[in-house]
Amino acid sequence: MSSVLSIFKLVKAPVYSHCFSQDKSLLAITCENTCLVYRLPPANSVTSSTTPQLVATLANHDKTVTAVDISVHGRIVTCSQDRNAYVWEPLSDGSYKPTLVLLRINRAATCVSWAPSGYKFAVGSSARIIAVCYYEQENNWWVSKHIKKPIKSTVQCLAWHSNGVVLASGGTDGYLRLFSGFIKGLDSKEAVANSPWGAKFPFGALVREYYHGAYIEDVQWRSAIEKVAFVSHEGSLNVVDSQDQLQSVNAPDGLPFNSLCWVSDAEILCAGFSCHPVLFAADATGAWAFARDLDKAGGAAPAPVANEDLDESEDANSGFGISALRKFKQLDLKGKVSTDAQESAHENTITQLKPYVEEQGRVTAVSASGLDGKVVLYRL
Amino acid sequence: MTDWRRIDIDAFDPESGRLTAADIAPPYATQVSLAELQPRIAQLRTLASSGDMQAAVALATSDPPYSADAQAKAAYFQAVLETLTQVRQADIAGVVKALQPAQQDVLVKYLYKGMSVPEGQKQGGILLAWFERLTQAAGVRPVTHYINDRNTV
Repeated sequence: MSSVLSIFKLVKAPVYSHCFSQDKSLLAITCENTCLVYRLPPANSVTSSTTPQLVATLANHDKTVTAVDISVHGRIVTCSQDRNAYVWEPLSDGSYKPTLVLLRINRAATCVSWAPSGYKFAVGSSARIIAVCYYEQENNWWVSKHIKKPIKSTVQCLAWHSNGVVLASGGTDGYLRLFSGFIKGLDSKEAVANSPWGAKFPFGALVREYYHGAYIEDVQWRSAIEKVAFVSHEGSLNVVDSQDQLQSVNAPDGLPFNSLCWVSDAEILCAGFSCHPVLFAADATGAWAFARDLDKAGGAAPAPVANEDLDESEDANSGFGISALRKFKQLDLKGKVSTDAQESAHENTITQLKPYVEEQGRVTAVSASGLDGKVVLYRL
Repeated sequence: MTDWRRIDIDAFDPESGRLTAADIAPPYATQVSLAELQPRIAQLRTLASSGDMQAAVALATSDPPYSADAQAKAAYFQAVLETLTQVRQADIAGVVKALQPAQQDVLVKYLYKGMSVPEGQKQGGILLAWFERLTQAAGVRPVTHYINDRNTV
């Protein structure tokens, strides 16, 4: 069984970020200065011949859109190098109403992540600031509170714990930091009662800090087992738990990772510059190790023999012009040798992995966006 | 607005502050001094002169003095370079293969360091031979780690 479920060739530009809606019926991707929204059939009926239908173009940004996320309520948030973020409210006619978010940052916004509740989100930026944004009823707009200290460089990735309070962030200063993103009036203290990560969670408090060294490219929680995993530009996957036990595994081919996705409590999928996802698994003792490659290029080349047999029988039936046909076929074969090698579904760096189908606590399909303008669905 | 990239956006923001080298220096708990390194340098020379190159290179690439100052690093590097140049060309591949992945990562740092200073450039051919054997044994991983690591030798 091939590990590639479907390949969507969507745009002729890099896709830095993508996101599916809660019911997987909508797919939002970033494309240059816009965010494109596509409609898809239900997840169980997606095949290799499925083509997403473009339903909306969100075009308020005037610089490259760097990240997109969709909340549980279907609100889309986009952030951009123009230092702005917009929340796009879905209307009944299928269009979206944009609302500007006051980020108050003076450098590009790099990443965005909705809290699990869908009532607040965090935006990371090159201004060494994480802006936690929430809706303010009386002013009728999205306002932000800043987390500044002790961030020393660009924030590259953000992830919320399922309790909606602890916020993990990684950046180019090489630190993975856990902050409290507690907003009065939105979050309740019960959510973080008995949290193994700390006792008190005032807004902006630094909960934990781990020095890694290389740029941290992506971070994801596995809240149920209180673990957080992050991948870095030196091509390593790192998993840390609330007792500060940190484990590190290197990429099998040594190339940097851009994204990761928890598959189950003991499996993590990573992807990056090698253009194909790599599965890591933890054994019974909890030690992480490389498990297998998905859709690796240069693997089993498709056997050309079967095709030739078919052609051969055709030749015999047609009866004339065989020698000329054969001559051209042999010329053709000369060129074919190099193209026979199987290519991976993504032809360029993978920028982001997201879980697509989840069954009984285990992710069985993931989506991956890449610099080649494709979104690929992989089966696990 | 055509050259907006050149606008000094921090001009009126005293709080902003630019990123400095000190901001991204790795946090070292202690600093290793040259005096503390001397016994290791002596050990390295003893191993190299006794001909046990495998042990000498393994020692040179274990626990490098990341936190030392530039002068101590230079002295230690000199000893490592001497060790590396004493290994016979034919033995390099075997030595590299026997190293742990973490030691290979350190070795490549010394190779790049060597190529960046005059003392090492004189031995450029030998360093390149090491580099070739290293990438044959370990692929691009040590290079990726070297590029991304802020711990310098």
